[in-house]
Parts: sequence; C-alpha cells; structure tokens
Amino acid sequence: MESLAIRVKEMDALIQKMRELADGLRDKAGGIQAVERNLDRISANLKMLEINISDVSDLL
Amino acid sequence: MEKNESLYWNPVIETLPQEKLQALQLKKFRRIVDWAYHHSPFYRRLYEAAGLEPGDIKRFEDIRKVPKIEKGMFRDVQKNEPFPYGDMLAVPCEKIAVFRQTSGTTGTPVYQADTWQDWEWWAESWCYILYAQGYRESDRVFIPFGYNIFVAFWAMHTASEKLGCETIPGGVLDTEARILKMKELRCTAFGATPTYVLGLAEKARKMNVDPAKDLHIKRITVAGEPGGSIPTTKKRMEDAWGAKVYDHIGATEIGAWSYECTEQPGGLHVNEALFLVEIEDVETGEPIAGPGRQGKMVITALDRVGKPCIRFDAKDVIRWSGAKCDCGRTYRMIEGGVVGRVDDITKVKGVLLAPTAIEEVVRSIPEIEDEYEVTVTKEGDLDEIALKIEIRKGREGEQEAILARLKDQLRVKTNLGYRISVHPPGTLPRYEVKARRFKDLRKHG
Repeated sequence: MESLAIRVKEMDALIQKMRELADGLRDKAGGIQAVERNLDRISANLKMLEINISDVSDLL
Repeated sequence: MEKNESLYWNPVIETLPQEKLQALQLKKFRRIVDWAYHHSPFYRRLYEAAGLEPGDIKRFEDIRKVPKIEKGMFRDVQKNEPFPYGDMLAVPCEKIAVFRQTSGTTGTPVYQADTWQDWEWWAESWCYILYAQGYRESDRVFIPFGYNIFVAFWAMHTASEKLGCETIPGGVLDTEARILKMKELRCTAFGATPTYVLGLAEKARKMNVDPAKDLHIKRITVAGEPGGSIPTTKKRMEDAWGAKVYDHIGATEIGAWSYECTEQPGGLHVNEALFLVEIEDVETGEPIAGPGRQGKMVITALDRVGKPCIRFDAKDVIRWSGAKCDCGRTYRMIEGGVVGRVDDITKVKGVLLAPTAIEEVVRSIPEIEDEYEVTVTKEGDLDEIALKIEIRKGREGEQEAILARLKDQLRVKTNLGYRISVHPPGTLPRYEVKARRFKDLRKHG
C-alpha cells in the first residue's frame, strides 16, 4: 500500500496544478462563454478527481 | 499497478481500512455542514435553532448533534423562494443545471436541483456501482427507461458512458421493440426495476424469444424496488435471463448510495466514501452500530452541494451485516438490502407485516406467475388481507396443492392468514417502472 500512498500524493499535487491552470484560464476568459462554460465542466471533473484522490491523500 | 487494483473503480478508497474511512467521512461531513450553514438559508435556520455551529462537530460522535431532516421538510421548503426549489438550495438558481423530481408516491413530489458538478457526482457514484458489478468498456449496455423527469436510470446511462461502455438509450421504444433492439444489437447488459426485468422476460417469451438463449445479456442492474435483494425474486430474474442480477439502492434526494458487487454476498456495500449511513432504533432513536439489528437509516450525501442532503431520515429500514465480502472492499454492507420502509411496515391483525415477506413467498413457488396483488381492508373492527395471484398456464390442475403450499408458507413467514383468489394468467396489472402491489385501504376509511 505504501507505493499507492506515494502515487496518491503525487496525483494530488498534479490535480492541484490542474486546478490552478483552470483558475488561471478562467481569469483570462473575460466572459467568453465558450471558455467559461467548458471550464465549468472541467471544474466538475476536477472535483471528482479531488473526491477520488485529493480528499484521501492526507489519510494514507 | 499493484495486485488486484483493476478490480476496483477506485482502489484508493474502496480498500481503505475502516478507521481511515471514518476519518474521511468526518472530514467530509464537517465540510458539507459548513457549506450548508454558510450557503443554504434553510440549513442555517435549522442549525441556528438547534444552537449548532459547524465548528461544534469535532469528533465522529458529534455528528449526532446535527438535526435530522425529513421528507416533509423537503416539501415544505419548496413553498419558499427561489421557485421551484425553495431555500434549501445552497447555490443561486442560475447554477442549477439538472432538474429531477421524486415520483410523489408518499405525497407531493420533491423537486431536486443539481449543479453540473452534482450531476458529474451522480455519474461518479454510479461508476462505482457498475464497475463493481463487472461492467467494462467491452459491454454494450441497453437502458430500457423512459428518460423523463425521474432520475431512475439517467445516471446509469451517464455512468455507463463514462466507463466507456457502448450505451444504447431505449427511451421511447415499447417493450417489444426494446427486446428486438437488445437482440439485434447483442446487448450484454441492462438496468431496470425488478418488475420490468420480469415483465420484459414475460413479453419476450410471448414473442417466442427466450431471453436466456436468444439474447446475450450477461448482467442486469436492478433498482427502485426491493426485489433485487429478495432471493426468490432474484432467482426468477436470473433464471429468466440466464444472467447475473445485481441490486442497487438510491434515491432522488440522496444519490446512489449502495450496491451489490459481483460476489453477490447477500448484502449491499454502502459507498462510505461518498455517503455517511447511520442506523437508529426506530422507537428510541439510539444508534445501532453493530450487525444484525434492524433500524431506520439516516443518511448524508457527503459531496452534494446544490441542494445538500444532510442527516436525512429516509424511513428505510436496514441492518448492518457482520460479514466481510470476498471482493476485498472495506465498505460495510447492509444485509439483504432495504428490509422495508418505516411507513410500509404495518400492523395487520396485530402482527407486524413487511410487504417484502409476501413477495419472498409468492416468488418461491414456481407455478405462480410473477405478478400478484395484496390488499388490506378493514371489515368492522377486523383487518382483512387479500392476495390475488395467477397460476401459470398448464398448471391449473394443481391449483389445490399450490394454494395449500402458498397458505402454509405465508403462515410461516408472516404469521397471517390470507383470503387468496386465483386469476387468469396475464390479467393482474403489469407495471413498467415501480409496481404498486401492496394496497393498504384501511388508511382511506
């Protein structure tokens, strides 16, 4: 299980980077619907990654 | 990949030791209460009236300090703004992407609001179910469902797509066309209520299609009724289709919280990473932590944000299983699914009766058709319970012996005597979604 724990922490770090990238893109969107609405969907999927990986990363 | 990781949708949390699962639940419970307190006027009022602040929840035991909610509250709050959901909402109406509603079986329908994130969460929770039941991207999954205002198999559809399965919507097709389409496309799996699984098989046989031989179905997911966890009903379905049948329990206001895995261990896993299930004594409200003793379920959806569901007294009667499942999941199981509903378990002639017990007996006698109907009435001061059945074609000559067996087994299982009447095959009502076979007319005078 130890190697899985390390992988989970590494995955969590990458998920947070993806979240920062998405937030950065939203800052640049300036109301462009084609960007913001797709980001809403990306954000929902990022949340699922957080539920599956990030939420548990400090418990392993 | 470590050994056996491919058995799980998410090996990280599905095999987490129980104490860590509890730590995860506490962390998420605190988060959802904090979210609701700060974003939902309904929850803010509820918690302030109880003198509770989110910071008061420090230990697992503190969870019980949080007030419960009931179905009536969902209905009452709908009278408030914003229309049509009321102020249980924790996001602006503009953020609601998906509307569903309850069937209204027990009263006014509840309107359910989900953000796109919530809808993604519905799909995610169903991915856990389908993966545990053996669905893989090689499956061709048929959804014989009316794609409407009820959530039912919508989430199975989206999860099936997410898993990579080829997913076929059987929406407006009638039952005959659905059977032909499953045959034409060699579908390998489908989802339906137990009633409809049996109804599809009955219709297929009338079309001279034997589902077990002429179709390619390997697995069926059932939901919406208790039949998937009633052994005799499950056997009927599996025999009719030559396929494995797996149960799942969910609800519109809650989510898809429980599922059977391919081991078919006689119980359903609770998805404890996404839901917190508590069981309370029906009379005293005391918590039931151990296996064997049944009580009513209080449930929290730990990640649902649009219209949070926190400590919902769902009126479902369940009991913890003490068994460990060979699948390796550490999620606890409930034994035999939902045993009944607090509202449905009723006293007849002074005896507590769960309608599922009648189904178990009727479905155990192969000479009796799948459909039946139970009516409880009051004649004077006395309760009367009537059971209508159909005897299969060609077995009419055995009626006397069949009825004797039925009466005996009903007496043993339910401690009640029934007025039984036999009707010609195919004449009792057939249902496409949830059946209403148990009618208690005493409540209507």
